[in-house]
Amino acid sequence: MKRELFALAILALGVIVFPAALFVYQARQTNAGDARIIELVANAPHNGGWTPDVIRVRAGERVRLRISSPDVVHGLDIPALGVHVDEILPGHVQEVEFVATRAGRYAFACTRWCSVDHWRMRGVIEVTDAANASRPPVTFAPPLYQQLGIDLDAMHFAHNIPPRRPSAARGAALPLNVRADFRTQAPGDVFETLRADVANRAFDDSQLWDALAFAYFQNAGSDALANGARLYARDCAACHGERGDGTGPAGRNLPGLTVMHPDMARGPANFTDAASMLGASDVLLQGKVLRGGMGTGMPEWGSLYADQDLWDVVAFLRTFTFDSNLGK
Amino acid sequence: MKFVFTRGRFNRFLVAASAACVMLAAIVVPLPVQASLPRAHTVRIDARTFAFTPGVVSVRRGDTVTLELEALDAVHGLYVDGYDVNLVAEPGNSAAATFVADKEGKFKFRCSVACGALHPFMLGELNVEPNLPFARALLITLAGVMGALALFWR
Amino acid sequence: MTTVRFELTRSALLKRVLTSRWVPWLFMALTLPVFWLAILAGLFGTPAGSRNFGIVLVWIVWWALLMLVMVPCAGRLWCAICPIPAPGEWLQRRALLEPRAGGRLYTLGWKFPRRLKNIWLQNMAFLAVGLFSIVILTTPFVSALVLFGFVALAIMTSMLFERRVFCRYLCPVGGFIGLYSQVAPIEVRVKDAAVCKTHTEKTCYQGSANGYGCPWLVYPAALAKNTYCGMCTECLKTCPRDNIGIFLRAPGKDLETTQGRRLDEAYKALIMLTCALAYSIVLLGPWSVLKEAAYAVGTAAWWLYALIFLATNLAFVPGIFFVCTTFARNLSFQKFSRRRMFVEYAYALIPLGLAAWMAFTVSFVFVNFSYAWQVASDPFGWGWNLFGSADWTWTPYLAGMQAYFQIPILLGGLIWAIGITQRTARTQNVPPRAALPVVAFCAAFTVALLWLYV
Repeated sequence: MKRELFALAILALGVIVFPAALFVYQARQTNAGDARIIELVANAPHNGGWTPDVIRVRAGERVRLRISSPDVVHGLDIPALGVHVDEILPGHVQEVEFVATRAGRYAFACTRWCSVDHWRMRGVIEVTDAANASRPPVTFAPPLYQQLGIDLDAMHFAHNIPPRRPSAARGAALPLNVRADFRTQAPGDVFETLRADVANRAFDDSQLWDALAFAYFQNAGSDALANGARLYARDCAACHGERGDGTGPAGRNLPGLTVMHPDMARGPANFTDAASMLGASDVLLQGKVLRGGMGTGMPEWGSLYADQDLWDVVAFLRTFTFDSNLGK
Repeated sequence: MKFVFTRGRFNRFLVAASAACVMLAAIVVPLPVQASLPRAHTVRIDARTFAFTPGVVSVRRGDTVTLELEALDAVHGLYVDGYDVNLVAEPGNSAAATFVADKEGKFKFRCSVACGALHPFMLGELNVEPNLPFARALLITLAGVMGALALFWR
Repeated sequence: MTTVRFELTRSALLKRVLTSRWVPWLFMALTLPVFWLAILAGLFGTPAGSRNFGIVLVWIVWWALLMLVMVPCAGRLWCAICPIPAPGEWLQRRALLEPRAGGRLYTLGWKFPRRLKNIWLQNMAFLAVGLFSIVILTTPFVSALVLFGFVALAIMTSMLFERRVFCRYLCPVGGFIGLYSQVAPIEVRVKDAAVCKTHTEKTCYQGSANGYGCPWLVYPAALAKNTYCGMCTECLKTCPRDNIGIFLRAPGKDLETTQGRRLDEAYKALIMLTCALAYSIVLLGPWSVLKEAAYAVGTAAWWLYALIFLATNLAFVPGIFFVCTTFARNLSFQKFSRRRMFVEYAYALIPLGLAAWMAFTVSFVFVNFSYAWQVASDPFGWGWNLFGSADWTWTPYLAGMQAYFQIPILLGGLIWAIGITQRTARTQNVPPRAALPVVAFCAAFTVALLWLYV
């Protein structure tokens, strides 16, 4: 009889105590004491997207997100709160903590392509601040394109297209200093101004474009290009293509401009199309990225990108028509 | 029971032993191979959940192979058995690797980043021709069958 | 024919260990919590299979251990420590260790239907699991449900029927490891049949105060093959004449005689061959359309896949084999029935099938074994790191070298199979040329697998 009881004890240990201990261990792992724990599951959009996709927290509350993925690799960015999780591997759990100080709504998004609908994988963190309810909410100035009254959906074509790809390196060597407000003036218009100026009669069209390209990238700065390249690779290349020609794998079934007229171009925009790109000012392009495409399939990035990020991406887009390399 | 060494039995053991020798020889004997100039191949492999396209890539021994991995819908990897090539790509960020196909045979390539349920079965094949290991295996099998028949024939 | 065998239980120490009640029970007490953890991880853990203890332990670690080590070396030894029938058996005996009430069992004692006292149910169960294998192997929740279903069924049958009915007639794993255990170099047999003739109580089958009657419904004195013996050593404990022992013997001894060869087992041998080939094509091949059809349960493509899978297993391959054995019949000068030829030659497929399954296992087990380190530290995929190995990256072992293991294994199986076909012909008293069609079948199968793997 004693042997039976001993055996029963061993069995109870293995079948009851052991699993119970595992669940208790998990309960303790997920109880962080001072932080509030929120389980955030990253599903590909066709499986439900972020779960939950609305997270409500209080201002000043320490929040710990436990992020897991059951299917593919995801990433998480909460730009306004400075949270960047580069990789959430399936079956792993990533933990990140943040404290939101002001009331408001903060967007978060997946940063690794997880399905063709990856760009839909977004959520919002709603921060309430009961103590400071009377504080006025953060207001943002309207985007530059709205201030300037620019119609984002109007056609924009440059009348003059460079004979060959403008090179900033060649432009650097030219004794020509181009001054222009690249933010509000389309490169095509800048070129017209340069061409009309009698002082530039000695230079041919190609040289004017080279000088224009050099001035543009000088104005933007190499940090901006690097940041733009990083953002483009992460968020844009999947649809617009690594070479900017609109043939990325995730963009294959998007309607593109056919929502405006069936005869217009399908799919993502082609940034190597000089006529279209050179006729668009930076503020126009920035507006399109910020606002999104109104049914074309182009997502809106205004809720996720800071102002500088938007200008950086636009600067990088120019490298598909201008060669920004200053080296040999 | 005494082991009687009859002539029939001796003949059978002789055949079986010769078959065993052929089998061992087939492992190392150089086989006639059509000589050809090494070429450079660039193969674009599309990876989607859960398939590689093309699933079968064929090159000749000595060729310089550049594999370009383009992922179509999620983060995928490409690991080539035997060549220890490991690439990771996602839509918008393709990856490439170049290597010389100096070993002939059939090498499976597989997805190396967990991408969902069928991830462990997301497989393709790299055939480096001529497939001498298979030819040897066939020779060994043939010799083995002959030898076994001889050994067990009564 | 002299039997060359070495009795392990001759050594007093080994005898004590092998006949102790504690030894197999402790193993079971170890496998049961691990199995239970596998079920819990499948039910509550991450859906990502490569990070789930339920999937990695059962379909990579345990499968490799079973197929590459336990079955070739020790036959049906796994059955002695398997956790699936354990709860049912303890409930049935109302005891964990000590036998109670003279080997009496607390069950409704229903007799298992005579028409089902064969392995046909196990054949069908194996095909059912095989048909859904791509879903079971990759989805932790489904895998856990299947395993839990087996345990529930085992408990139920223990309460309703006598003894280990689940293990003997229902378990799909038991179906094939029983068949392949004929190849093993170990056996449980009576020492001297004459002693049994003088013993009327037959406590080895009926049970006694020292232990239970054979849970496998086997009469030890009549045990000539390993197929249905689960090596639980109950009979060694109940025999009052100490007439049963565990022996080491030449591998494949059970295949030397054509006595007791049955159609259900013959079919099992063929089903195993077909499934090894089918899995090598569908699961491990580069043809994704097949995998997608196999995975998309309920779609038209899946129904087509299911139809082809089942028809190939139950009709095409057995049909081809039937043609070969009928040819063999024509080449013999004796006119045995076609059925007898089919059944008797099918047993040559046992070493061939075991070799095929070992080669198939080699294809995927070493490349994916590194997941075991990860799930040991994080069984549920909940972000734990118990032993520090949770973040170790996937490392394919022996990648590109699988063929060097598969070729000798397959060749070994083929040569052995040829030996068995020749022996079968000899036992039937027909000229050796009668074995040639079956030899051709075995060779063709081997070449097909070599073409897929090498």
